[in-house]
Amino acid sequence: MEHTLRAYDEELEGLTAELSRMGGLAEVEVADAIRAIARRDVMLAQAVIGRDARLDEIEAEIERRAVLLIALRQPVADDLRRTVAALKISMNLERCGDLAKNIAKRALVIAEAEPMTKLTRSIERMGELVAGRLKDVLDAFAARDLDRAKTVWLRDDEVDEHYDSIFRELLTYMMGDPRTIASCAHLLFVAKNLERIGDHATNIAEIIFYEITGEQLPEQRPKLDALEP
Amino acid sequence: MAASVARIAARRASNVIFVAFCYLVTAIALIGLTAILWTLVANGIGGLNLDVFTLPTPPTGERGGLFNSIVGTIFLCSMGMAIALTVGLIAGTWLAEYSGSSRLGAVVRFLNDVLLSAPSILIGVFVWGVLVQPFHTFSALAGGVALAIIAVPVITRTTEDVLRLQPIALRESGVALGSPFWRVIQSVVWKAARSGILTGALLAFARISGESAPLLFTSFGNQFTNWDPRKPISSLGQVIFAFANTPYDDLRRLAWAGALIVTAAVLTVIIITRILTRQQKRA
Amino acid sequence: MSLTALESQDVSIERIDNAAIKLDVQELDFYYGKKHALKSVSIPFAERAVTALIGPSGCGKSTLLRTLNRMYALYPGQRATGRIMFDGEDILRPGVNLAMLRARIGMVFQKPTPFPMSIYDNVAFGVRLYESLSKADMDNRVEEALRRAALWDEVKDHLSASGLGLSGGQQQRLCVARGIAVKPEILLLDEPTSALDPISSAKLEETVTQLKSDYTIVVVTHNMGQAARVSDYTGFMYLGELVEFGETGTVFTKPATRRASDYVTGRFG
Repeated sequence: MEHTLRAYDEELEGLTAELSRMGGLAEVEVADAIRAIARRDVMLAQAVIGRDARLDEIEAEIERRAVLLIALRQPVADDLRRTVAALKISMNLERCGDLAKNIAKRALVIAEAEPMTKLTRSIERMGELVAGRLKDVLDAFAARDLDRAKTVWLRDDEVDEHYDSIFRELLTYMMGDPRTIASCAHLLFVAKNLERIGDHATNIAEIIFYEITGEQLPEQRPKLDALEP
Repeated sequence: MAASVARIAARRASNVIFVAFCYLVTAIALIGLTAILWTLVANGIGGLNLDVFTLPTPPTGERGGLFNSIVGTIFLCSMGMAIALTVGLIAGTWLAEYSGSSRLGAVVRFLNDVLLSAPSILIGVFVWGVLVQPFHTFSALAGGVALAIIAVPVITRTTEDVLRLQPIALRESGVALGSPFWRVIQSVVWKAARSGILTGALLAFARISGESAPLLFTSFGNQFTNWDPRKPISSLGQVIFAFANTPYDDLRRLAWAGALIVTAAVLTVIIITRILTRQQKRA
Repeated sequence: MSLTALESQDVSIERIDNAAIKLDVQELDFYYGKKHALKSVSIPFAERAVTALIGPSGCGKSTLLRTLNRMYALYPGQRATGRIMFDGEDILRPGVNLAMLRARIGMVFQKPTPFPMSIYDNVAFGVRLYESLSKADMDNRVEEALRRAALWDEVKDHLSASGLGLSGGQQQRLCVARGIAVKPEILLLDEPTSALDPISSAKLEETVTQLKSDYTIVVVTHNMGQAARVSDYTGFMYLGELVEFGETGTVFTKPATRRASDYVTGRFG
């Protein structure tokens, strides 16, 4: 049912629409950053860096709208959860954008050095997984699909496994050929950034769960930490 | 604990006593009312026949009825109510809507209250001095005026009270639409107060329909049917008074019949008005 | 933006730059006998927008509203000084035709006051004062007014029923329909939903939001949520003064004065 005050519905929908737009942009940023690494594409990397400002603008706009909505409409129940969720998701998306920007910056550096196809292939695979998770979780948000969000949340350990395996691979490379240490270090950071993007996707899944059900996810978030000595 | 139980019992007992008292008093009033109506019907019904409604009042021993008195009462009450409604409605409206808290308004209200409780015979004497003596004749007109003077304060008072009961916002709403104030009063406030004003008119009518004392000096009475307002005219109240004092049975019977007719007439008018008002409210 | 604490006697009146001003109150003082109820109030009312007046009881917001259509003229001993400019004319000067003024500036009161006549006659009452329309034209006018007041669907089959038979919320919408049937330019609403239940209130608020595309509306309300939901501009009054005036979004997210801030956050009043 719609609110009696139609403008209220319009404002809530406007907020969701802005958020969807932001999600789409963040997805593109992440995907492009990964492609820039894989293909050593300098132009693409610079485009990614330039577009990040746009993401920051949208986040500020969403925050402005959400605060105004809270002040003027005094939302309660699911309207309130929806507004709070929008705020939190936008923060997570903005961080994803920053991480994509960092990846793109490193792509610029890596493009100067020797190609390391095998390693960048692994990064690319991890990147595709992370970008896929981000897309899944944003689709779950748009469709208000609880099950899909839960699936993303449960499979957080896949990203961690990828990260651990790349970490070992990079160590091996660096120990094998010290000339590659600089490039491998950059790739290490890229992998870490991708792992963080994966975490943000998990966060967004938790927020979606809260928005739809009003409850927090029960279990501990599964975190693979095989790097402990 | 025991003390409060006793107190509750005492309270309950006094409640029962009070309610019983209310019932008792109501019963007494109802018995009284029933007794009056019963007496009227019992004594008056015997005297009712076609002659009562067609023939004028007779001297004793002859055939007769109350036709002239009925005509007279109808005329006097109509004239009295017509004048009283006009004057009373306007005066009541002026007091409620226009006088505010002015000195003049307070004076008028006070005088109205005085008139309300004035003995009706004094009003009769006053009208005698003004409308009978200078013209050297009793007249139906004078009787009508006397009744009007008795009815006016009742209507004025009830109209003012009922109008004051209407919420201020009602008037302001009308004015806020751009209507002149008098138009709001006429089209909106009077309509809203309609049933109250009508009740006031009914009260006044009930009061004057049974009056006889003021009519003694003004319309005086007439053995024959009179259609000329400048001449004396008979009325039921006056005839009941006159015939009841005679020692003749046939005239006394006529007096009872007259009393029954007056009561029935007032009851009918009240019932009809109530029915009409209730229909309007539902609509 | 200054980070210093707001002073307690601040006054902040924003100018309206992005809309035309329909009604401009300038230096208005109002007296109930000797009591000085409004103190040098200046406030603009933007055209085709909703302006809300809020403030604690006795702050003068209803008094201000009632000067706008000179309703106070009904009562001797109440007087106003200053200027209220409406389409270039000062409506406070003597010689203004009050009946015509009130046909252009309508008012709806706190307690619904349907007239004791049919719904149709209620709505037609004001129209009949100044215009003589054919039956078809009047029917159209009544229907249009009832539609705009969001009441048409509920009453279209019994227009000849008494206005007194409607529910509270419906009666209030009837009063709105009655007010807009005369096609005023400005609509004044004095706490229009305070006697209504929440659903009727919400319906009336939606009606007001729809109406603002054609009318300039001023709402006095003691319900801050309502002011936040419905209005474009908000004026906060306290003890007869206009303390803050600005766009509603600003007043409720970063009020410029201490007193307004305390009031909207529920720290006093």
